[in-house]
This record gives sequence, structure tokens and C-alpha cells, in this order.
Amino acid sequence: MSFREISAWITLTSVLGCFGVYFGSLATGQVRAPSFATLHLLLLCVSALVVLQIGLHAVAARLVPTSAPVLKDEREQLIQMRARGLGYYVLMSGVLALAIPGHMEISKIDLLNFALLDVVVATLVVSAAQIVMFRRGV
Amino acid sequence: MPRPPIANQIRRLRFEHGEMTQSELADSIGMTRQTVAAIEAGKYSPSLEAAFRISRVFGAALEDVFQWTDAH
Repeated sequence: MSFREISAWITLTSVLGCFGVYFGSLATGQVRAPSFATLHLLLLCVSALVVLQIGLHAVAARLVPTSAPVLKDEREQLIQMRARGLGYYVLMSGVLALAIPGHMEISKIDLLNFALLDVVVATLVVSAAQIVMFRRGV
Repeated sequence: MPRPPIANQIRRLRFEHGEMTQSELADSIGMTRQTVAAIEAGKYSPSLEAAFRISRVFGAALEDVFQWTDAH
């Protein structure tokens, strides 16, 4: 497995884990927005994501040093470009879909969480698409 | 998307050049081993620049490494 594929797995699992905890807590009512508890949880999840990303990428670079060049090769660039293209459509669809809750009786914090969910889903789509293309071959 | 009808002789050429590994070929053309494996398996069509780099490593003409297999 190449460094870039491992990187996509790291992003997929860490984003899923960290924001899964955040949105899971909101959905199950363990924290209620708007509150400082929600803000603290969000900051904790984002901090955990940053630490996980840096730590796991450092470990991956040590485990597979030969496939972790500074520059991506042309196939890796193509895969990244196609995956980001898919993610762009997801992000744009989500932003446009925000108009629906935006016109309802919904709080600003809920609207912000919808926007955050859109970013998270788009990131997951990019990572998943990269993994599929690395596995299937491009 | 259908794959272009491009065949390659990379596996044979590697064997004929001292059983060169995919990693050695990848290092010499500035790519990852996974990309070389994808090219060799016909899953990825390299750029013209990469194709020339590969053919230069083997000291062969481009047509000796890559062939367009469709008759049309």
C-alpha cells in the first residue's frame, strides 16, 4: 500500500471517528446546542483530529519511507484530482441544500452544524473515492 | 470508462534487464511502485513524459515498450 493510500485511510477513519463522536453526541442528545459543552466537544474533536492526522501520518511516513516522496507522481495527482472533483459536487450540493433548513425555524448553531456536516461528508467522499481508485486502478 | 487498447512490454523488459524490480524501475523514473504496477497491469496509461522515461530506462524505442493494439 502506498503512502498516499494510507494517507487516505488515515483521513477517512480519523474524520469518521472524530466527527462521528461530535455528531453522534448531538444526535443522541448527550450534548445540546447551543451550549459551551457543544463548543468544548467540537474543539476537542477538532484537536483530536489534528493530533491523529499528524501522528498517524508521521508513523505512516516511517513505515513506508520509499513511497512517501515529497511530490506526488502523476497517477496520484490524477486520483486526487478526480476524488476532489467528486467531493466538490457533494460540497456544492450540501451548500445549496442548506437553503432548506435556512428558510425554516432553525437556530444558527444548527445551521452551522449542517454546514459542518456537509464539509465532513465531502471530506469522507474524497478519501473514500481515493481509496477506491487506488484499489481498483486508474 | 473503457481502458484504451494499449499493451506494454514492461514486465518482459524488466526481466531482460537483470530482473529489475518494480521498485527499482519506479525509483529510476520518479514514481511509486504502485504506479509502475498499475502501468504494467494496463490499469493506468502513463503520460507521454513517463512513457519516454520508461523506454529510456530500458534503452528501447517507445513503440517497443508500448503498443496500440486496436487495428483502427
